[in-house]
Amino acid sequence: MSAWEKLAALPREIVLTIVLIAMIVPAIRPFGLPIMVGKMSKDWYNTVDSLPEGSIVLFDIGFGSGGYPTLGPCAVAALHQMFEKHLKIIIMATALEGSMMYPLIMEKVKPEKNYGAVYGKDYVFLGYIAGAQTAMAAVLGDIHTAVKEDYYGTPIDQIPLLKEVKGPESYDLVAYLTTDGGIAEGWVYQAYSRYKLTVVGGFLSMMTPSLKPYYDAGALKGILDGIKGAADMEYMTHHPGDALRATDILSATQTIVLIFIAIGNISYWGARLSKKEGES
Amino acid sequence: MSEVVRKYIPLLITFIVGVIAVLDFYTTVPAIRGTFTVLKNWGIVVTAFALGVGAVNLFRVHGKRIAERGELWPLSGWLLFMLIVFVVVGLSTGKFDASWQYKWIYNAIMLPLGATMYSSLCFYMAMGAYKVLRIRNIDSLFLFLTAIFVVFGNTPIFPAAFPGFFYTREWIFKTIISGAYRGIRIGVGIGAVVLGIRTILGLERGYLGRA
Amino acid sequence: MVSTDVGVWIAAFFTIVATSYAFRDNIFFRFAEYTFIGAAAGHAIVMGAKNVVLYGWTHIVGGEPSYWIPIILGILIYTRYHPQYYWIYRYPIAFLVGIGVGISIRGAIHADFVKQIAATAKPLIATTPLGTLNNIIVFVGTITALTHFIFTYEGIHRGAAGWIPRIGRWMMLAAFGGAFGNTIMTRFSMYQGRIIFLLRDWLGIIH
Repeated sequence: MSAWEKLAALPREIVLTIVLIAMIVPAIRPFGLPIMVGKMSKDWYNTVDSLPEGSIVLFDIGFGSGGYPTLGPCAVAALHQMFEKHLKIIIMATALEGSMMYPLIMEKVKPEKNYGAVYGKDYVFLGYIAGAQTAMAAVLGDIHTAVKEDYYGTPIDQIPLLKEVKGPESYDLVAYLTTDGGIAEGWVYQAYSRYKLTVVGGFLSMMTPSLKPYYDAGALKGILDGIKGAADMEYMTHHPGDALRATDILSATQTIVLIFIAIGNISYWGARLSKKEGES
Repeated sequence: MSEVVRKYIPLLITFIVGVIAVLDFYTTVPAIRGTFTVLKNWGIVVTAFALGVGAVNLFRVHGKRIAERGELWPLSGWLLFMLIVFVVVGLSTGKFDASWQYKWIYNAIMLPLGATMYSSLCFYMAMGAYKVLRIRNIDSLFLFLTAIFVVFGNTPIFPAAFPGFFYTREWIFKTIISGAYRGIRIGVGIGAVVLGIRTILGLERGYLGRA
Repeated sequence: MVSTDVGVWIAAFFTIVATSYAFRDNIFFRFAEYTFIGAAAGHAIVMGAKNVVLYGWTHIVGGEPSYWIPIILGILIYTRYHPQYYWIYRYPIAFLVGIGVGISIRGAIHADFVKQIAATAKPLIATTPLGTLNNIIVFVGTITALTHFIFTYEGIHRGAAGWIPRIGRWMMLAAFGGAFGNTIMTRFSMYQGRIIFLLRDWLGIIH
């Protein structure tokens, strides 16, 4: 085995250990790097910012444990902005584990303590509703015939906020965060295409390219592009959290990945050229 | 007769429900609106029942493995035990997922497992980038270049030092990704609509299962 | 300070053993895997039961007997395991397919087709030369990527017009490269959450 070939075949354990160390070190000793806010996040922020006080937002938690490290910080920062603006938020979950994410998110937002918000008056949680697009269409179309109780079992006719919802036109904004492509498309189909509502969406970065055409076509007014979007939101809302901490970890790990890509290509071309030389 | 009951009535159900759903979009007839509102609410309930199908399949597969003392059968027993624990804790309090007991087992067991199972793919991404992302020909050169520039733009340390990396990444998203993915989305959209119409008309029958 | 919460210790154990598979397959990972599958299936039942109660039973109790229909349809899903009467499950599935397909194609026609074509059919000339160049790239990318998927007319892939789908192929490969770059970020951003959990919530090394 030539030196080039050896370089191309580093043992898996070594590569993975280096990656793991690259994650741990910046977590312990952050670099505190500045970030540059992307246009898609800025558009989400501005869309929410332009809503008058008291506007009703339908907010969907469309992710579970798998998406929580990325979309959890998005949800926290987005809700901080909404509560700060005194918007009224109807939260629901289209993901099977979404209702389990709700307490984790609210534990960080603390709407009562930080913003004086009152459950039932300023925000409400409907819990997980099965059926994905069917659930979206049901909640948007006629929430009063679809939902009878909230997450805690309170009848919805005893919840003041839901009395304000007369029909789809009552929603001033639909905001969702999801790890599921079907949910991401579903909100565009049901909220934007069906009722022409203003929609903003957040998803895993790897989903962003395939969903960006909706943003370009005006169907989505803003996008939170995974952890990058979360960091942007934390920066814009002045609520630094896990996403800004993650930027340092990403810097270290992705630099290591770039180094490995370089090693892989150098060794590949080195081996190929030395083989050619040997043949001639 | 049996053919009608077994095959054609289900196809008719799909047709009627599908047509009402489509008409709800294009018409303002109160009767259609009202009917579709009821159908949507029913859909939530039927979907909720379907959530148990996975558990039944697991009981069938792992129950058989335990009975036959197959490979890793003690783990099959553990799997079914965990399933039962979640169901018992979830249903016994009467509060389902809102009880503190359920939140506790979820946060201790399912949350870390779900988060780690999906995210540990990052190690394979690192290995994949090292072993596979190589310039071998003109096709891979296109893929390689945008991948590299997007990774540079996504790695905060580089835009912090050279803002050009950030703008290059934004430009790639604004032009190349927007253009190509719009073409793909139109193609996929046409395919989905055609398949949907064929399903409503009963020309696609795969969902009916075995004959 | 290291956590004294039993729940955190269990979570830390599962995080470590679930990661161990990346290095080598082992029995601890299998244990974690089976635990997760069992827990996920149990969770699905709990959420399903809650939805049946909240969106079905409460309607019946509230004086809407028509909600017996979805409940019966839901129960019929489980006839699929019966060797003789398995075909009955086609009724609830037919209902779900009908509503699912109907509800999605109406939106797809508008958002995936009409809106995308409208967004493409815009003037290419912008106020700045770079804006014009960007518009041209997006336009060319859309049209050429679409032509790459024309399989019913072979002539588009051969002869004089063959360069059109070839450009589409390069555009798509370049776009997939961008998507790959974002996928790397996604996976690492997900795992960093577990690192922070281990260092902060479990070991108390960071705050």
